[in-house]
Amino acid sequence: MATLPRLKRGHRGSRPQRYWVATRRFVQYLALFGFLALFLRLPGGDGPAPILGVPMRLDPLAMAAHALAARTLLASSLVSLGVIVLTLLVGRAWCGWLCPLGTVLDLFSSRARRTVRVPESWRAVKHLLLEAIFVSSLCAALVLLVLDPISLLTRTLATSLWPALEQGITTAERALYRLPALRPLVSALDGLLRPLIGSSPAYFRGALVPVGLLGGLLALNAFAPRFWCRYLCPLGALLGLLSRVGLVRREVDERCTACDACVPLCPTGTIRPDKHYASDPAECTMCLECLSGCPQQAVVFRPHWRPARPQEYDPRRRAFLATLAATVLGVVLLRGERAIRRRLSGPIRPPGADEERILSRCLRCGACSRACPTGAIQPALGESGWEGVWTPVLVFRIGYCAYSCNACGQVCPVQAIPSLSLEEKREQVLGWADIDRERCLPWAEGIPCIVCEEMCPVPQKAVALERVELPGENGAPILLQRPHVVRKRCIGCGICEYQCPVSGPAAIRVYSRG
Amino acid sequence: MTDFSRRDFLRWLAAGLGWVAGSALLRSCRPQPTKPVTFPEMTPGGTATPAQASAPTERGPQPPDVAVARGGEPEDLVRRALQALGGIERFVRPGQDVIIKPNICVAYHRYEYAATTNPWLVAALVRLCRQAGARRVRVMDHPFGGTPEAAYAVSGIQEQVEAAGGEMEVMAPFKFVEVELSGARALKRCAIYDEVLKADVLINVPIAKHHSLARLTLGMKNLMGVLWDRPVLHRNLGQCLADLASHIRPALTVVDAIRILVANGPTGGDLADVRRVDTVIASQDIVAADSYAATLFGLQPDDLDYVRAGVARGLGQSDLRKLRIAIV
Repeated sequence: MATLPRLKRGHRGSRPQRYWVATRRFVQYLALFGFLALFLRLPGGDGPAPILGVPMRLDPLAMAAHALAARTLLASSLVSLGVIVLTLLVGRAWCGWLCPLGTVLDLFSSRARRTVRVPESWRAVKHLLLEAIFVSSLCAALVLLVLDPISLLTRTLATSLWPALEQGITTAERALYRLPALRPLVSALDGLLRPLIGSSPAYFRGALVPVGLLGGLLALNAFAPRFWCRYLCPLGALLGLLSRVGLVRREVDERCTACDACVPLCPTGTIRPDKHYASDPAECTMCLECLSGCPQQAVVFRPHWRPARPQEYDPRRRAFLATLAATVLGVVLLRGERAIRRRLSGPIRPPGADEERILSRCLRCGACSRACPTGAIQPALGESGWEGVWTPVLVFRIGYCAYSCNACGQVCPVQAIPSLSLEEKREQVLGWADIDRERCLPWAEGIPCIVCEEMCPVPQKAVALERVELPGENGAPILLQRPHVVRKRCIGCGICEYQCPVSGPAAIRVYSRG
Repeated sequence: MTDFSRRDFLRWLAAGLGWVAGSALLRSCRPQPTKPVTFPEMTPGGTATPAQASAPTERGPQPPDVAVARGGEPEDLVRRALQALGGIERFVRPGQDVIIKPNICVAYHRYEYAATTNPWLVAALVRLCRQAGARRVRVMDHPFGGTPEAAYAVSGIQEQVEAAGGEMEVMAPFKFVEVELSGARALKRCAIYDEVLKADVLINVPIAKHHSLARLTLGMKNLMGVLWDRPVLHRNLGQCLADLASHIRPALTVVDAIRILVANGPTGGDLADVRRVDTVIASQDIVAADSYAATLFGLQPDDLDYVRAGVARGLGQSDLRKLRIAIV
């Protein structure tokens, strides 16, 4: 009798508990907004450099993997201790309250009724992925960080979504500007949008892949809300393990009437009716939906001193050992392939970074690509094998390393590209230019052209011109200047290759120093 | 969090767009300098304009073809050169929209390296135009090395222009419009920055410096900065520049020869290649201005392909003996 009015009121949640959910959403949007605001300050690297890398540095998985692979502990990576302490206090609150990818997944979750039931055993996948990341990091391979949530989201924005937005707006503006009547309107609109999209939008190779990955994760929401966070996210797995020894955990007390109201509310589906509505702290994101939705107010969050019990879906020893073996085998094979690829293509890395440094430190977040004003920093697709996939390489036919810019090293959150002063950066030799005399206009065709020399930013010019007189068709001599590279001055910035007017591969190309 | 409906999404979207629009609106409401910035030569209680307007009549009805100011500070050089040409009022009328095109080709060095136009010279022109009543004075270039934002800042031009009441404009990629150049021999079609075509007055402010193909980059070469795609011009540079100059036709060319770069241009970077000449050359005739500037490097006007092509195209006079040159 007495329970009836409580039940009625409880259906909409009693007031104080409702505030928890509203607060959480507010914090989620604030964190996502902060993430985007920092992302937008990346171009040119002139933003507040020390805080631009904060989202990445908060990520304990990426920081731990970096420390293992680089055999260096960066003082700035200790920011991630904050998230570790948070998790030890209140469990996977990062996932439910702060993670920008988690918030994006929440925004795209549907309320449609699900017919497919994902087996509980899949929850182990994320733990095995976490293991694979740590094992490969010990072998100095960071390629699996393509699946780190912060890296994934930053990379997708940096190399796919934001460039698409910039290109889309610029293309639309160009099309609309053709109509004279619309010109004032287009100009005004551009004034509003330009601060968001930079003056020289870039394209990135393989841009569909990050979009496809993110799109796939959103699509998986159709099978279960936050499918990524439940089954796949390696950062979630790491924080989940910490949560099992965390202090504050969810508990259901004797007021529970087994009404099942909380079960569909839980975004990670960890409330188990067969276990008295208990949940696994490794899966609970502290979203507090169950707290606000419980008609009996039977959900409580209390400190616990003892570690939580393991679950039946935790990886067994056999899966653990198999993953260990597979990861080691994978690293060995990737390393062999990488050696071949490097010999074949000789990738050129951003200033101050060599091959070893990039491969043992780069988190694949794409911040450098976003910061580069010319679009020269492209994701590696095959240049250093699968192990180096999505690390930064310079592609000079797409952009050049601007003599006035040191942005990539300023924005790199983990010093994979070292932070250099402009003077130091100007001394970095990225590679050496070489002239292809079979393609070069003055060499091959007797046509005057000095673009490479004109563009060369080095004070004494690393391209020298040799004056020659050639017999012309009608007897009159043709005066011609033929370019030569002065190797000791060349810094391999690639502006000559970028600007070379020969179509297709440039007649002057920068090769890695090997 | 599963009850985030489409309507919620649209609301958030609308709020976001509103925020962007609102902040842009607030930004545009910032007070714009409406009065020209005062400068030392202005007498209190009156403007300098009447005195300047009377200058040409005092000097007779025909001002010189080329005015060359030598020795002094940049601002002073510009004022003397323009005074000799009959005052800025000859070129800029009240209410007009003026674009000043300096050479800001790279973002690499400060003005001392003579790769970019002297900031005080540009600022002096901005002030003169504002005094003459120009409605709007914009300064822009399209650098090939580094971003425009970086180049504007590094060159020092942004700081001086904004202090003088002018606007720096970054050339938006979508505003380059395909134009047919009538009567062109080499450059028949090209994409030109639309604002430059629409402006009432274009003032061309090159810095005089070395260039391996053109030998020197001066007024005609400086016009290349209003094009979208430039390397293609190099095949027949002199003729292309003449074709371009006959279409764009700046009202005034002011050559900055305060510091000139005698080698390793156009990018520079070594002070050993810079000579201090303290000269400003102003002319309505772009060919004449370039012809005189060539002599500062020990060259003859005909040594420059584009000067010869410009004369052939009827753009101006390169024969220094036939030009009336006022040295002030």
